[in-house]
Amino acid sequence: MKMADGVTMLRRNRPGTKAADFCRWPDQPFEEMESTLVVQQYIQQQICHDPMNVTQILTPPESQDEGVWKYEHLRQFCLELNGLAVRLQAECHPEACTQMTATEQWIFLCAAHKTPKECPAIDYTRHTLDGAACLLNSNKYFPSRVSIKDSSVAKLGSVCRRVYRIFSHAYFHHRAIFDEFENTTYLCRRFTSFVIKVGCADFTLNSSCFRPDRAIHGGSEMIPVKDNEDESCFLVTKHSPWRGKYKRIFSIGTAGVTTYNPTNMEITNRWPYSDFMGALPGPNANHGQVSLA
Amino acid sequence: MEDNSSQNHNGQLDPSGGGNVSNKQNDDGSQRTQYSIPGILHFIQHEWAKFELERSQWEVERAELQARIAFLQGERKGQENVKSDLVRRIKMLEYALKQERAKFHKLKYGTELQQGDMKPPVFDDVVTDAKLEADAPFTSVSNISWRQGRQLLRQYLQEIGYADTILDVRSNRVRSLLGLNNNAECEENLNNSSPAVNGNESSNKRASETQEAAVMANFEFLSPDVDMDDDDDMSDDLDDQQDDETDDVKTAKRKNKCLMMNEGLADDVDAEAEEVLNELNLLTESEDAQNELRAPGGSPSMGFATSSRRPMGALGDDEGLDSSLGLGELAQLTVNNEAEAAYDIASSKEAYRKMWNAKYTLRSHFDGVRALAFHPTEPVLITASEDHTLKLWNLQKTVPAKKSASLDVEPLYTFRSHTGPVLCLTMSGTGEQCYSGGLDGLIQCWNLPSPNIDPYDSFDPSVLTGSLVGHTDAVWGLSIHNQRMQLLSCGADGLVCLWSPQNKVPLLSTFSSPDDGQPTSVDFVHNETNQMVTAYNSSHCVIYDLETGKPVTRLETSQAENISQDKQINRVVTHPTLPLTVTAHEDRHIRFFDNVSGKMVHSMVAHLDAVTSLAIDPNGLYLLSGSHDCSIRLWNLDNKTCVQEITAHRKKFDESIYDVAFHPSKPYIASAGADALAKAAGKACCSGLFKVKLSRGIVK
Repeated sequence: MKMADGVTMLRRNRPGTKAADFCRWPDQPFEEMESTLVVQQYIQQQICHDPMNVTQILTPPESQDEGVWKYEHLRQFCLELNGLAVRLQAECHPEACTQMTATEQWIFLCAAHKTPKECPAIDYTRHTLDGAACLLNSNKYFPSRVSIKDSSVAKLGSVCRRVYRIFSHAYFHHRAIFDEFENTTYLCRRFTSFVIKVGCADFTLNSSCFRPDRAIHGGSEMIPVKDNEDESCFLVTKHSPWRGKYKRIFSIGTAGVTTYNPTNMEITNRWPYSDFMGALPGPNANHGQVSLA
Repeated sequence: MEDNSSQNHNGQLDPSGGGNVSNKQNDDGSQRTQYSIPGILHFIQHEWAKFELERSQWEVERAELQARIAFLQGERKGQENVKSDLVRRIKMLEYALKQERAKFHKLKYGTELQQGDMKPPVFDDVVTDAKLEADAPFTSVSNISWRQGRQLLRQYLQEIGYADTILDVRSNRVRSLLGLNNNAECEENLNNSSPAVNGNESSNKRASETQEAAVMANFEFLSPDVDMDDDDDMSDDLDDQQDDETDDVKTAKRKNKCLMMNEGLADDVDAEAEEVLNELNLLTESEDAQNELRAPGGSPSMGFATSSRRPMGALGDDEGLDSSLGLGELAQLTVNNEAEAAYDIASSKEAYRKMWNAKYTLRSHFDGVRALAFHPTEPVLITASEDHTLKLWNLQKTVPAKKSASLDVEPLYTFRSHTGPVLCLTMSGTGEQCYSGGLDGLIQCWNLPSPNIDPYDSFDPSVLTGSLVGHTDAVWGLSIHNQRMQLLSCGADGLVCLWSPQNKVPLLSTFSSPDDGQPTSVDFVHNETNQMVTAYNSSHCVIYDLETGKPVTRLETSQAENISQDKQINRVVTHPTLPLTVTAHEDRHIRFFDNVSGKMVHSMVAHLDAVTSLAIDPNGLYLLSGSHDCSIRLWNLDNKTCVQEITAHRKKFDESIYDVAFHPSKPYIASAGADALAKAAGKACCSGLFKVKLSRGIVK
């Protein structure tokens, strides 16, 4: 509840403030904020203002140190992810989800222990969040909130990676919870954009075998190429540097090329021909390798 | 020059570079052919260097011997004093014996025993000893002899440097000779023996240039056991130095700080303050003949201080203390008064222990910590934060931090269930359950996990035992009555609810008073059964009877009719034993009310910004208050004066400190801040910490 006693406005949530009035004060421009926690204040203010406007929330103000910006955002993500964890606590029982998985191929080991351990999903979630809290607040790596050491910035990437798996597990195994949470907080969308912006996208996203941004950005990317009819399909083995080899169905259609996951027939990737630049026979042309660019 | 014969004469040739080239007489050069000028030069230089070396060696030896002499002289004096003390004792005992005999004889024989002179022994001999007090050990020191003693002290101290350990050893030895040690004897004995001891010590200490050092040297005897720890702490805490302690602390500034430090009027505080100064001074003496006390002001504001200078002056103005103990004089650090002030203190031993120093920093929350509660018996506390979680901390499980003396603690357990910021927290009397209320309107009941669990253990759903549903809006205040196992809560929906969590239907009753606005804080009245006090954001405060639900007393907080945010009460606590209620207001005041009459007993401007939280220690002697001005103040409840201020936490938006707490049984205090940190402090030998800070200042 703000207090406007003439000149000064105190941004305080005093005891007795109603829930609806919590943090309801006029926005303060970034330049006018004076405290050591300006970045956190600013981010929270933006989120309060409009949680859906991901770009605006993720845009740093001018001359803002990038390391600090990333750090504070990551803190905010871990903070908000707690909501998802709370919801998962109700449903994700160790008997049901004995391992932390997203799709069937990968089992994620919990790094919070001395040796990585195969924790049930709910434990993985809790431990990851607690571990992230520990790391992000540790005096050793992040002693200050106004300047981040370069060596510590690398740690942010690993936190992102682990945290992302929580999203992917929720998406694949507790879809209802995920949707409900996402619709109120838009957190996964924001996190994905954050990760891409920050530059640790490849590792993070691929290792989670999950592209929720495709899943939720209107879902348009998961529908097949428009007017595509599959002409011929091949069972192929995809070689990925991250995920090893796995089977896909490679389909050449009228409007584009699509790959399907053979187990559930979901579209995993598709490229309309408009995206192609050329096709060349590969080095082992006899064995039918073709490179598509 | 012929250099072919330059190698002659001495086997050793000193290089001529660098050293002083004294005037060499080259008159010999031409006459004796076997000597060459360079040779002679070399020889003379060499001899000169040798002489210099020997001279410095002699000087060192001389200094050592002088020290030894002084030491032995001091010892001798000490022995003499011991002897005279013993003689005194003997005389007294003889006199007592004579009296007893006379009595006995009278009783037995009915006549007076002729024993000759039955005068009480006269201790003339002691008076002649200029340094010592005239009377028996049980009388207090006279000022004149004390001044004389100090003069002598200063003189001796000027002669030599003297290490602390030797003083410790000596004072301990003398004490053991006298049969006195800190625990066995009464305080007076100790105080009065220290003058006797002073005579011994005086020869062993060099007088510092300012008066303080001399006095402080005396104070050192008040707590000899403290000194032993100094050396240990020094090495550990050398890194503790705060960056803003600079070398150029002016004396005036120091006086200010001493004023701040000494502002607590309690007798016991004086000694501790002086104790502090004492320790500091000793360290300066041992390190540096010039004693600029660099850090004494900074260190009493305790380890939290990032801007330790700032609050001092303000505090000085606010409190405006005039001590009848001559404390004001002490604060001004004049020559004449210090000694008296020092010796007016009766009980000095436990005094210094009441200073808190920063020890633990609890980092793990992502957003401001809104509330905290200590376990009743273990050094365990729980924090509740705006990041929707509660965390359990064990203060004994600290993370070794390389940089600071403040220990980092990591949480053992994270309680997740709230879907909004958690605003209030309370712990049951057994320490097995705790209750938290949040913005989501729920009060969650938790079973505490053991303080020794592995932080990364598997999820145990039984930790959350249930939630109390009843409020329709944010729950801002919680209070528990341990004997009755009842819980009070107040919320932004205007209701105050009474719960008995064990019952099937936990909600027992609700109270509401729409005229008074929103309730902001509740507490049970501790010295009465069946009463509770509620504070509102309209600055009204009412005591209700729990059975009837009717207001019993309305505390006179303000005359204004309108509900104004300016004077909102942020926290209300009741004294554990007295019929006293204390309220913390948004207008920077803390007000005290009598429960029976409702009248305001006292009102004081406590902070520079809104006072947000209060805690009374379990003995009912001290009050801890936290404020948005980033400071925590410890108040003595008897005379309502501030005995200590700690600067802690940084501001987020316009808020800084949300909650403070005392441990119910152990000497810990804690504070919760908007910067997502909780800090805990324990009682420890403060002197070690101060010494360290001082030494760092000097090293810089």
